[in-house]
Amino acid sequence: MIMKRDDICKELTQIFIDVLDNENIVLNYITTANDIEEWDSLAHIHLVVAIEKHFKIRFSTKEIQTWENVGNLIESISSKI
Amino acid sequence: MHHRLSFVIETISKKNILHGKKLKNNFHNADSDYLKKTEAFLVKYEHILKKQHKDLDYAVTCYLQMLADVHYESVQFVKTGKYSNTCFADVNKKVYSNPQVMEYYMHALLLRQFLLPQNYAILNFFDKTLRIKQAEVNNYLEVGGGHGLFISNAVEVFGNQVAYDLLDISKNALELAGSMLENKNVNFIHADIFEFNTPKKYDFITLGEVLEHVENPLDLLIKIKSMLTKNGTLFLTTITNAPAIDHIYLFRNADEIRNLIKEAAYTIEDELCTWSEDVSPEKAEKFKVSMMYAGVLVIK
Repeated sequence: MIMKRDDICKELTQIFIDVLDNENIVLNYITTANDIEEWDSLAHIHLVVAIEKHFKIRFSTKEIQTWENVGNLIESISSKI
Repeated sequence: MHHRLSFVIETISKKNILHGKKLKNNFHNADSDYLKKTEAFLVKYEHILKKQHKDLDYAVTCYLQMLADVHYESVQFVKTGKYSNTCFADVNKKVYSNPQVMEYYMHALLLRQFLLPQNYAILNFFDKTLRIKQAEVNNYLEVGGGHGLFISNAVEVFGNQVAYDLLDISKNALELAGSMLENKNVNFIHADIFEFNTPKKYDFITLGEVLEHVENPLDLLIKIKSMLTKNGTLFLTTITNAPAIDHIYLFRNADEIRNLIKEAAYTIEDELCTWSEDVSPEKAEKFKVSMMYAGVLVIK
């Protein structure tokens, strides 16, 4: 089943809320780490692991480094499911 | 902010937003002494790089490569709860005996020493310890001297009347340390500490971030003890929960380190523990944040 990007964004939002422990997070395509205080390099590792587990996918180190915003992350997920 | 430091932080931020965010936070709260010393280090380091036909841009590239390695290892660590390395011989082949890896790795570690406040705090604690022990030291050994920053500090404090030995398993590390040191009293030894035998005893031994690189850290502490004079001092640093391309032995908390020190029959005279992230204890526990440990040890 192909997931729509908006649905991926909704599921990602819930992952961010759970991992970062902040109910107020609302993601969109242009959200960056600068928009969410708790999204730091430490939390990012746990986000990557949680996202991989949730969508049953694997990211490469190289592709993780290219993400500049949530839109890039959604594209990566979309290309794998 | 001083211009070299600004350049380094901005260059890192452009390539790694998350780490850039962390560095900006770190230096936003930094005191003027820290900023001044970091800029002074960067001036010296830039001079060393220039001699090697390199620049700060090169150092930042090395640092970013290390961040990518650590990120990969960290993801594996979160998934498995273990470090990916189990065998020293494999790590030696993959890292210490691999000039391409050591080249970027040593430059990255050197830059990290000033970019992360917890590393800087350990360096300050080392400097304080050297000054307390100064009168008792005639000879100094550093094992796993890496980039040479700590022994440079020792030379600065102890001066030319002390004999210095610097031992490292990596030729590349010794070369970089050599360029950091202008002091000719330093004897560079390319060897594995477990295979190094000398009748000499040392008044002060530094073992900085080495324990986590071996399969059996207790054996290493016992070996080092045999090389200390009766009233000698071991300055030890190591780290908990810190996956890296060359880390083998996993300490999960500071008590595991203290228990090992006790088992090797040392007494802790002084110590410093510093979290690698500025987070609450709850978050540190949740995310298994690494802690840097430094201990001033003497023989019981």
